Amino acid sequence: MSTVTAPREGGTRKQGRKETPEVSDRLKAENNLGRKLVAPAIVLMLLVTAFPMARALYLSLFSYTLTAPDDREFVGLGNYLTALTDSLFWTTTLNTVMIMVVTVFVELVIGFAFAMVMHRVVFARGVIRTSILIPYGIITVVSGFAWQFAFSNTNGFVNSWLPFVADDFNWFAQYETSIIAIMVSEIWKTTPFMSLLLLAGLAQVSEDMLEAAKVDGATWFQRLFKVILPNMRAAIMVAVLFRALDAYRIFDNIFVMTAGANGTESISFLTYRQVIEQFQLGIGSALSVLLFLSVLIVAFVIVKVFRVDLSNARQG
Amino acid sequence: MKQKIGLTTGILLILTWCLLPVAWIISLSFKSQEAITNGSPGFFPSPGGTAGFANYSDVLADEQFRRAIINSIGISLIATTLSVLIATLAAYAIARLEFQGKKFVLTTALVIAMFPVVSLVGPLFDLWRTIGIYDTWPGLIIPYMSFTLPLAIWTLSAFFREIPWEMEQAAQVDGATSWQAFRKVIVPLAAPGVFTAAILTFFFAWNDFVFGISLTSTEAARPIPAALSFFVGADPFNRPASLLAAAAVVATIPIVIIVLLFQRKIVAGLTSGAVKG
Amino acid sequence: MQARQGPGRRRLVAALATLACGSALLTACGGGDSGKPTLNWYINPDGQDTLTMLAEQCSTDEYDIAIQLLPASATDQRTQLARRLAAGDTSTDLMSLDPVFVAEFANAGWLEPFTGDRAEAVLDDDVLAGAADTVVWEDEVVAAPQWANTQVLWYRKSLAEAAGLDIGPDSPVTWSQVIDAAASQDGATVGVQANRYEAYVVWINSLIAGAGGAIIEDTEAGRDAEVTIDSEAGQAAAAVIQQLADSGATQPDFTTSNEGTSLGRMFPDDGGPGEFMNNWTFVYKNYESTVGAVGGPADEQELEDLGWARYPQTVEGEESRPPIGGIDIGVGAYSENLDYAQDAAVCVTSPEAQSALAVTDGLMPSRNSVYDSPELQEAYPADLLDLYRQSIETGAPRPKSAFYSQISSAVQSVWHSPTSVSPDSTPQESADFLRQVLSGEALL
Repeated sequence: MSTVTAPREGGTRKQGRKETPEVSDRLKAENNLGRKLVAPAIVLMLLVTAFPMARALYLSLFSYTLTAPDDREFVGLGNYLTALTDSLFWTTTLNTVMIMVVTVFVELVIGFAFAMVMHRVVFARGVIRTSILIPYGIITVVSGFAWQFAFSNTNGFVNSWLPFVADDFNWFAQYETSIIAIMVSEIWKTTPFMSLLLLAGLAQVSEDMLEAAKVDGATWFQRLFKVILPNMRAAIMVAVLFRALDAYRIFDNIFVMTAGANGTESISFLTYRQVIEQFQLGIGSALSVLLFLSVLIVAFVIVKVFRVDLSNARQG
Repeated sequence: MKQKIGLTTGILLILTWCLLPVAWIISLSFKSQEAITNGSPGFFPSPGGTAGFANYSDVLADEQFRRAIINSIGISLIATTLSVLIATLAAYAIARLEFQGKKFVLTTALVIAMFPVVSLVGPLFDLWRTIGIYDTWPGLIIPYMSFTLPLAIWTLSAFFREIPWEMEQAAQVDGATSWQAFRKVIVPLAAPGVFTAAILTFFFAWNDFVFGISLTSTEAARPIPAALSFFVGADPFNRPASLLAAAAVVATIPIVIIVLLFQRKIVAGLTSGAVKG
Repeated sequence: MQARQGPGRRRLVAALATLACGSALLTACGGGDSGKPTLNWYINPDGQDTLTMLAEQCSTDEYDIAIQLLPASATDQRTQLARRLAAGDTSTDLMSLDPVFVAEFANAGWLEPFTGDRAEAVLDDDVLAGAADTVVWEDEVVAAPQWANTQVLWYRKSLAEAAGLDIGPDSPVTWSQVIDAAASQDGATVGVQANRYEAYVVWINSLIAGAGGAIIEDTEAGRDAEVTIDSEAGQAAAAVIQQLADSGATQPDFTTSNEGTSLGRMFPDDGGPGEFMNNWTFVYKNYESTVGAVGGPADEQELEDLGWARYPQTVEGEESRPPIGGIDIGVGAYSENLDYAQDAAVCVTSPEAQSALAVTDGLMPSRNSVYDSPELQEAYPADLLDLYRQSIETGAPRPKSAFYSQISSAVQSVWHSPTSVSPDSTPQESADFLRQVLSGEALL
């Protein structure tokens, strides 16, 4: 994450900062003050992440079940080997990547359309803004329940609304349809967030350039692809990065809607099951470490492939 | 004219997208539990299968759920307050001071924002039970603070950068004490940012599920999302869909109120400084 | 697996829990300041009202019992309790345990064994064999049987008659016959539990046991137990599931079905023929209390049409082995009031307590003598009581292993979805997987 640079500093402080001894003292004091002010935040953030991560690294070298503590045994990298050679680990990872790619792509397309509408709209702004924030603010578990029940063949409405789908069709009986239901819930909840980020990006596109393109006789499509999208590149990439990492960690919807049945497990869910449900602290810790590493890899790939400039990024 | 029709269609689509599932969960909450057990497909409750407000009164009469509401509100508010307080200090330093390690703070915040929380719950559970804060409010408040700090720090430093700090000095020149200058000039300017960060932080804590199910085991600390997933109805073998829907609606009311009151600020918080240039 | 109470009943009780814990914000509720200790009893949701009453009745001058409610699914109950116990929680005094978790908890040292008089009080000859077996671990009595559960075949008499199925106390039926009978009648179905969860293993276990086999043997060897699911019995079980899946007599939510999903199909609104349903004992009280309501029988006469018979045979001529469930009361090893907690456990599992649970909640006694009590004889048809009693006495418990939850998960993951089960591959595949899981070579 070395690509992060500091946000620009504010206002007037730089003026009159010269290399005099007096100022150098002030610089020192400022340095001290700055460190003191960020210390509580740093300590808190590391307490809850660095220490547990170190502990996970340590535990991942053991065969260790919480319910049979006496059988604890050092196995070196055995747990990693087991995990990495297990087909379940890879199908789960693949499934997670699939969910990430599909949901982010769909969210991007729909979110962009929403952003275009909101950008142009002059009336009812408050109403739209309020509505679009409701999915954003709603609890993911609630969204999962809402869609699970909507797709249910005993109490839902989706079957009766969709043509070509039998009324008693069971969406949660096989992988393909279960995963669609899960992705619908995920996409519904997070598209508004995507569209707001894109809306901010749209605002950066200069109207003058659009006018000029129009005068030059550019079609709507040409304006979209030659003017609007290139100018929004930074906004799109930042939105994609944060949503992709979020989607990669998908857990709540799967837990609520299928509990991992029919191969719908994500890598987060698999890890949770080992550690929290099966109390397999050894191999579960190994999975935790692998999950963390894979998030770093995904982040790295996105940053490199799409050349995201994180200096302008702020997570939302 | 053509554009106007397109725009109106777009608006209707957005409204449908956002509100249809909400309408559905409200409609579901009025189906009677008997109808649910027996199967009651369709968007609206069937004529004979309407529960009125029975599901709501049942949900509110449920001691466990009432405790969950108290837990969620209490934990989220405390975590939000503390997190915003600590983040304000850090964001002020980042926005106004030159110091070594600034880059480290921002990098840490970014990494933590991306952190897969599931990989932490195992060791954290272990640690919490060792030091005895498992299944307590602090046991959730601490991780919520840690994971909302990045968001709060980034949001606040974006706001603080926009504040014309020289006005403080100007006020002092005009004869105000530094406290007065701070209170009359800086606080009003910084307040919207703090407020926005608080709302976003609250949303995060309110929404959390992974910590909620992993670090609690009774109603002593169990928050709403965890309580929802463990919700027990009349029929332990069927998810009590309509009761759950009623509980979900109750859990969503605070969100709707916040959104209604502060939609402008939330949008500003989500987008301001999200993308520069 | 536990049974449930009828949907007509209110369950949001836990008023006692409020009294005990209402003010305890930051700590789990434990011994109060007043000096009189409060014992926490973690219960599962079945029979809450009666359990609350029992907690009150069994409270003494020396201690009070407060109810704490666990989640609905057996898996979640286990997770919640185990997390507390792994944390060495001193406030977990009494807990209602699904029998399959007793071995795991006892092996981890989380259950305080009953000794001396108390051991004799909770486990004497009066306890039915199927239930008694669940509370013994390494020759110690580690829990007290409170109630026992079993499954029987519930059906519409009119449906069996129309299909020409000879069924009754003296003419046991096979799964194959039941499936064929349902398939022969338009709209008739067979209700089972085949979602990916514990009760699906209940079904598989009974099918295998009914063919004389077992999922796993020598379970006290822990991880070195012998996996035997890839036997002829395993194949016979897979064949039954496959036959049902292919029969056209499945219910639309077959692959996500649970104990509740098939209830409404016995007396459908559209006047259909009904179903054959393998389900727990709660079913009788459920239909009795929903006469005239949506999902229940239309009137008393229709209720008369409800028939019951012993759990179907896997193999013709070989006695079936019905599932065993219920609740055992364990005492947390870290409790600060071990003696009080064990006294309380004896009290809440007494014959009187069992009788109350049976009469009001349909949770059947684990003690033989209670079936003969006048209260039960009045509340249930005599032949149904005998059927329950025999089923529990001769039922097939699930594997008693400290690694049961892994065994169960491993079986679920290979045998689900039921539409993919085949006698040729499923038993073999699940045996391989189970061996790998037990030796720590595969992820679950």
